[in-house]
Amino acid sequence: MRFLKLILVLLFIAVPLVASADKAKTIDELAKMYDSSSCKGCHEGIYKQWENSHHARPLMGVKGGLMLTPLAKAKGTAFSPDDPKKATLKNYPCFKCHLPQAIKSAEDSVAVELTEALLTAADEKASDDAKKAAKAKVAKLQITCIVCHNTNAIIHKRELGEPKDGVLYSSKAVASHPDGKYKAVEKSAIFKDSVYCGQCHGLGPNFDNEQAFQCANLYGSYLHSYIPSGATQTCQDCHMQKGDHLIAPNWNDDKGASELLAKAISLDVQTLGYEWLLKAGTHIPKVVVNTKITTTAGHRIPDG
Amino acid sequence: MVVTAKAADGKELGKVEKHYHPQATNCRDSKMKYGAQWKVANIRDTSLQPSQAKKETIEFELPAGVREANVTVELYYELTTPAQKYPIHTVTRKVSLDR
Repeated sequence: MRFLKLILVLLFIAVPLVASADKAKTIDELAKMYDSSSCKGCHEGIYKQWENSHHARPLMGVKGGLMLTPLAKAKGTAFSPDDPKKATLKNYPCFKCHLPQAIKSAEDSVAVELTEALLTAADEKASDDAKKAAKAKVAKLQITCIVCHNTNAIIHKRELGEPKDGVLYSSKAVASHPDGKYKAVEKSAIFKDSVYCGQCHGLGPNFDNEQAFQCANLYGSYLHSYIPSGATQTCQDCHMQKGDHLIAPNWNDDKGASELLAKAISLDVQTLGYEWLLKAGTHIPKVVVNTKITTTAGHRIPDG
Repeated sequence: MVVTAKAADGKELGKVEKHYHPQATNCRDSKMKYGAQWKVANIRDTSLQPSQAKKETIEFELPAGVREANVTVELYYELTTPAQKYPIHTVTRKVSLDR
């Protein structure tokens, strides 16, 4: 009996340690756990597209910005930590979509390191080298191939279970996948469906958080405006043509973004010049401009 | 969208701006907010909607003696700040009251 008790006590102590050991304690550890640089060897074209995509810089905003800085500042927002050294994952509800692997695989210490890096990058008194290093650290946190092709690949977990270790998920199965860690590719039912993108590209307010907040509404717009109009295209049909992993727009590319917008949005302008008779004997010269904007997008513009 | 009417000599006769975007507050006061960390829900939505045309009629009254106007319609996408503009279309029309 005493031996059994000892075993139970040891198990009680050991299990949390094992669970904790599985999680990343630093940004470097988290980046390494989800590193997808080995994908580049065989999927070079796709990898290059991804490198230029916003998925490769989910915490960087546009043109080198750092979109999470307001959250890092003490009392900067309702989510901000009072003390950067006491930051937790809960201070960053944005991780739900901008860094889903942090929720699954990071300790709170990653949030502390991120907070300190964001504050250093925004600190006017910090040296340029320190700012550059802090920014580079934040840039290591990416929505990598592993995040989409494993972590977020299954939405029917009650039926299908959690994504398996060592398995990638895609639009088609691959019998043998020559990778050291991910040796199999299984077919996912949702990879060609808008619902896959909808996991992050938003329905509206996030009520599942203790402090409600709203980011993207795009998938809500797709479901409630585009689908009721009778249209049938998916997100992937337009944004991932021929498997393009840039998933445009790329807002860092001014020309490319403008061209994509011009392709999706039409502007018709009709004009009329005449003299309006408001009352007898008083003609008012007037120019009338009628504009009509139409869009082929499957969602409201703007949204994200 | 910015619609500008100018006289032949370049003098501006009128300018109208239209802003198309969802508008959200924190649902605790009436001030519109930008940034997911501040927003809670949309209270108004003037954005371009799928499968729907956005139509406007803009009128410029011309001053006495002016019989012609150059109209420019600029449509652009503003990202996070008004400085981050992505031009989409620019259409110009010369409109005369004389036949």
